[in-house]
Amino acid sequence: MRMLDKLSENILDKLSIDFLRNQVLKNAYGNDDTVIAALDARMLLVWYLFFGLVPWFVNDIPFLIGCFLLVAVTTMLARVAGLVLFLFGVGVFAQTGYLLLVTLLFGGDASAIAPLLVLTLKVATVSLASITIFSGLDPDKLANGLMWYGCPERLSFSISYAYRMLPMLMEEFQNVLLSYRLRGNAPAHDTLSGKIRYLIYQVKVIMHAFYPLMLNTAKRSRTTVEVLEIKGYRYAAVNQEVKKMKLASMKVTNNDLLFLSVSFLWVAVTVLISTLI
Amino acid sequence: MTTTQKQSATQSQKLMVFVLTMALYGLATLFTELIPSFQVGIVEFSVEYFLFIPLTLAMLFDPMSAALGAATGELVFSEIMLGQFGGLGELEKFITVTIGVYIAGRLVRDPRNRKMVGIAAYAGVLIQQGLGTIVDILKVQLAVEDFEAVAGLPESVFATEGFAFLNDVLFSGILFCLLPTLYLVPKLHGKIEPLLGMQPRTAETCLDPIGAKAILGCAVAAVAAIAAELLATSGLSLIDWEADWAESGTAIAVGIVVAAVIAVAAVLAMRALTRKSAA
Repeated sequence: MRMLDKLSENILDKLSIDFLRNQVLKNAYGNDDTVIAALDARMLLVWYLFFGLVPWFVNDIPFLIGCFLLVAVTTMLARVAGLVLFLFGVGVFAQTGYLLLVTLLFGGDASAIAPLLVLTLKVATVSLASITIFSGLDPDKLANGLMWYGCPERLSFSISYAYRMLPMLMEEFQNVLLSYRLRGNAPAHDTLSGKIRYLIYQVKVIMHAFYPLMLNTAKRSRTTVEVLEIKGYRYAAVNQEVKKMKLASMKVTNNDLLFLSVSFLWVAVTVLISTLI
Repeated sequence: MTTTQKQSATQSQKLMVFVLTMALYGLATLFTELIPSFQVGIVEFSVEYFLFIPLTLAMLFDPMSAALGAATGELVFSEIMLGQFGGLGELEKFITVTIGVYIAGRLVRDPRNRKMVGIAAYAGVLIQQGLGTIVDILKVQLAVEDFEAVAGLPESVFATEGFAFLNDVLFSGILFCLLPTLYLVPKLHGKIEPLLGMQPRTAETCLDPIGAKAILGCAVAAVAAIAAELLATSGLSLIDWEADWAESGTAIAVGIVVAAVIAVAAVLAMRALTRKSAA
């Protein structure tokens, strides 16, 4: 029966777009007053490079736990939206928990738990570090930071563009979907077969909604590019002078150094502990 | 003026295609990231697969811009905006999506030929999923220490990855990739191109069929994707090195801690000084 209940929870109900939009917008725009958001993007990227890479290569459990605790604290400092943390939890446990179940199924025993625990810790640490950076920083600052390190202009342009266009795009998608719903004639969904037909109908509506959406977005992207061209975007993108002016606002303060050195101290202490054990 | 011009786009038209694919596919992946999937028995129903968007656009417009746009869109919208950026793994996804979409786009010479559109769409999915599966298996094998030694783990990884691959290709691949592409490509052909100021692609104006150079490029990119994950092989020696160094002395670790303490103290002192001078 539970299965039927689940099947009847249809996609459009889950896809309560308002809820999703609020969460996404909150995540992208909502937390620019936190400790993490005030830091310099370049320093944070260096920090991320360490916590995003090193845990993969280390199998020392005290060290991993130490790193995990540190990134957990920074995630709290960044005040990440609830939905993102929820997705993170689901992601980590779906990945390794599922693997554990199947391992047991294939005749593994409790000895499989330890390596999987290490794997879970690694995955969790790396993803929390990235949540801290990419959720905590506002995308414009992040784009500037990436540009400073010489990332392709396309990437930082994409980030800034996405940051500004996202609400509009989401609204448009919602409008198209709603108009399809208004004009459409949904099949009755009281019986099981009706529910399945309703589900298929909804998937079809979503697919069909992309037809007007593609046309509208094509028009919009043409406008965007033409406006960019008027302002000389493609020449500015490769011009060093322009880049310098764009990045002039970035500044390393004592807070950044403090953040880095406290992180360093913490890691050093965990290394010390792991040698003592 | 020759009448049989190649379908070559200007730089700004390429940028338009890039922006278009990025925005649409980014939005779609954002939703898939947020919508929980639900399972019936062992089959997972999810709206996972919106690859039909870049596939459609790659068949109608410049394939390379569409492919890069799709990969960037996914990276920016669903990973960076949501803070789910996964480091090395994302590089692999970026490259596999690019290769799959690009090849599918190049395969289609005339978008009105439904058979070719279908074959190309499915080929794109197969390539993308196949590469992804290979990389996933390698990733688990290398991340878990003494992979072979853990009873039941190797089989389980192959089983879960293989099953996920079949599920994606047979279920999502057909339902969410093949059918929408077959529906959208003929419908959009001739309508969407004028919006970007371009000629529709036909058999006469399409780019040359895939040459040895394109295949070679894709192969190199695929190797790069796998190599990004194989970085862990060099990581293995890194672990050994780490172990030696950790054994060699608590003294060194103490030294590092002392250095860290000094660094923190120095920064605090600098802070106090700037405060004072500011006041």
